[in-house]
Amino acid sequence: MERTVSTTMIDEAELTVLLTRSGLKLTPDQVRAILPGAELFRGMIARINVPLPREAEPALTFDVEQQ
Amino acid sequence: MMSAILTIAEAGRRIAARQLSPIELTKMQLERIHRLNPQLHAFLLVSEERALADAGAAEARQMSGQRRGPLDGIPIAHKDIYNTAGIRTTAHSKLLQDNIPVRDAHTVKKWADAGTVMLGKLATHEFAFGGPSFDLPWPPARNPWNIDHFTAGSSSGTGAAVAAGLILGGTGSDTGGSIRGPAALCGIAGIKPTYGLSSRTGILPLAFTLDHAGPMAWTAEDCALLLQAMAGHDPNDPASVDRQVPDYTAGIGTGVKGLRIGVVRHFFETDHRASDATRAGIDAAMDFFRKEGAEVRDITLSPAADYHAVGYLLMITEAFALHAPWMRERFMDYGELFRDRVALGATVSGPDLMQAQRRRRVLCREMAAAMENLDIIVSASQPGEAPRIDALTKWANMEKPSFTMPFNVTGFPAISVCAGFGAGGLPVAMQMAAKPFAEPLLFRAAHAYETAMPWRGRRPAMAV
Repeated sequence: MERTVSTTMIDEAELTVLLTRSGLKLTPDQVRAILPGAELFRGMIARINVPLPREAEPALTFDVEQQ
Repeated sequence: MMSAILTIAEAGRRIAARQLSPIELTKMQLERIHRLNPQLHAFLLVSEERALADAGAAEARQMSGQRRGPLDGIPIAHKDIYNTAGIRTTAHSKLLQDNIPVRDAHTVKKWADAGTVMLGKLATHEFAFGGPSFDLPWPPARNPWNIDHFTAGSSSGTGAAVAAGLILGGTGSDTGGSIRGPAALCGIAGIKPTYGLSSRTGILPLAFTLDHAGPMAWTAEDCALLLQAMAGHDPNDPASVDRQVPDYTAGIGTGVKGLRIGVVRHFFETDHRASDATRAGIDAAMDFFRKEGAEVRDITLSPAADYHAVGYLLMITEAFALHAPWMRERFMDYGELFRDRVALGATVSGPDLMQAQRRRRVLCREMAAAMENLDIIVSASQPGEAPRIDALTKWANMEKPSFTMPFNVTGFPAISVCAGFGAGGLPVAMQMAAKPFAEPLLFRAAHAYETAMPWRGRRPAMAV
């Protein structure tokens, strides 16, 4: 099943919203210092967001074969 | 008094034979620390009184025939994210600059029980991630091969201290390559064991599902000796695996005949092209393994960038989850590199995190399938020699894929060993990985390689 792929674009306004939502109240200068990394990070997120088979589940909390 | 820098194996043999005094050895190490640490900044704290007490106790056991094993009387130190009872543990951060734990980390206690002599606490990148930073209470560690150059991180102090002979071995932690990176750039050996093999209890976490604790030393054999006293079940670590710990030195000296080795050549030739010296070092190593009777072939995995993206997203998200309460209140008390990198965790959505966890499962299966008919996977550890410490940007670790992260994502054990020297005279390195809990194979192959090559006979000029 395919899902929506995140855009690799992020601007200062969106980054401010996301940081604020997480409880980080930063000055515009502090947000701008993070922005270049946020753009690179968006690229990584986009790379991860590819279609996966249904059996690609996250790890379970235990391994049934573990003794 | 002797002046050569000994390996743990050799020092242990001499102590056992009563040819070497643990007290004399410890005093020599302390003298080296006092002489070289002002340039290297490898130690954040030197526990001289504790070291001499440990050495005295080891010497008493030596003289009474009650030696505890090959590590009894061996001078070591701990990365400063390992809790040490009564001894300051800072994570190299202003936030913990006065933190004095009441209990030792599980592995700190295990090494103490093995008779090691604790010389102090070693530099790290802030909370094992933010570095090299110049806005923290202590400066970053410097590379003893050239102090203008980077050690890699985050186990930066351990890498520098081992290479310069300030300690014979030390602890590291590895969430995306923090043992193998400094081992590579400082020209030593370092192993990230299988996920769950060694306890993380009492070690300040960075990312729960990627954190590994492991040893760093001059040789693979020394790493085997240190891991022997580090591995084992700890019910207080939820990831700890309850299984018998094998003899990690049993295969050392038995050669590599019959081993099946797969080289992930695209990682270091096209995905992130390594230096000429690194690629030549790996090629020479493969020639050696073939000559000794191993079967070597190239293999293909997903691009290194896929492993890197999954690992980096999980690392940042988990680290942000851990640090968010402090970051909301004390953002500017962190160094710039840590706070700006980890704040990216705020941009990860729930579906993104779930997708990374699912993708991790696919990559784990891919690597397990690739290893079905192999014993060892080979890649680079780092792209080349250490860069200048002032040439690194805040986002450098995101710009190109890491060679080490694939084995944090999958939890497979991986060791970095020196594979020669580059045009600048600094070390280059090779990484070998194996199936879960196959550390003995890694030590066997790494030891065969190290003893056949001349690299272990060369130390940084400042150390000799």
